[in-house]
Amino acid sequence: MHLSAERRLSVAWVVVVTITLIYLVIDGSVDDSDVMRASTVASVAAIGLALIKVRIVMREFMDVRYAPRILRTVTDALVLTMGVFLFGTYLVGRAIA
Amino acid sequence: MTAVDGLADDAAVGGDDAARRFPGDPDMWIFVVVESLVFTSYFCIYLYARTQHEQAFLAAQSALTMWVGILETILLLTSSWAIARCVQCTRAGSYAAARQFAFVTAGLGAAFFALKIAEWVHLIRDGYSFGSSDFMQHFFFLTGIHAAHLVIGFVALGVLVYELSDPRRRSHKTIETCSTYWHTVDLFWVVIFAMLYVVR
Repeated sequence: MHLSAERRLSVAWVVVVTITLIYLVIDGSVDDSDVMRASTVASVAAIGLALIKVRIVMREFMDVRYAPRILRTVTDALVLTMGVFLFGTYLVGRAIA
Repeated sequence: MTAVDGLADDAAVGGDDAARRFPGDPDMWIFVVVESLVFTSYFCIYLYARTQHEQAFLAAQSALTMWVGILETILLLTSSWAIARCVQCTRAGSYAAARQFAFVTAGLGAAFFALKIAEWVHLIRDGYSFGSSDFMQHFFFLTGIHAAHLVIGFVALGVLVYELSDPRRRSHKTIETCSTYWHTVDLFWVVIFAMLYVVR
């Protein structure tokens, strides 16, 4: 299916806003009324969803999708690097706490 | 090439990399990558600190209101959509529409900034400040440095509108570069929001 550039942007916007609203579900499923509770699953999901949004914004809003291969590769490597360091720091920190 | 955006799309160019070009100035993309790595370094320090003092971070984090963060995020994501539409209209030669989308972007950015200031004021009135806890130190530093980037983003939007206003000055590359900066402000907020409001 080939979407027009305008429609493609709108679809991307709906996707990133929907992902943002998923945070409300995560928030509601972890906490007991007003008491915040630690959750590795919620934290990993929060970081993962943020990185998915970062990639969508880069690809669709920032036109990386239409850019030369080097920019597409560098931005994907950037998101991957962020993921490795963020997940790694959080999980290693939890393990040695 | 697509008629609307003026950039080569996947179906049109296939594997022909030469038919593709950088959106905006390549130097801005170097800035995006370097700034992203700097922010990532800070996020790692924050994440490590909160894993070592989990209960203290959770107690301070409970002062934040999730829906405020959600609303701020949606405002900035929508502003990113608007500036992307501005660039599309510019490439299509619809400069009046492009200017309108630029003003929509600025309005959404201003709404984000106003909400952020209201959030700061509310927290400070409730007794929270930069030095009240480790979490609040990270919160005020990250949201403050992001706000500084946002203010620079308004300057970029001013340059963009200035370019669009006069046919003799309409540089598509400059407009794309300003747009890329604004998206970067959005990108940083997407991760800052997850770190401060959602991570447990």
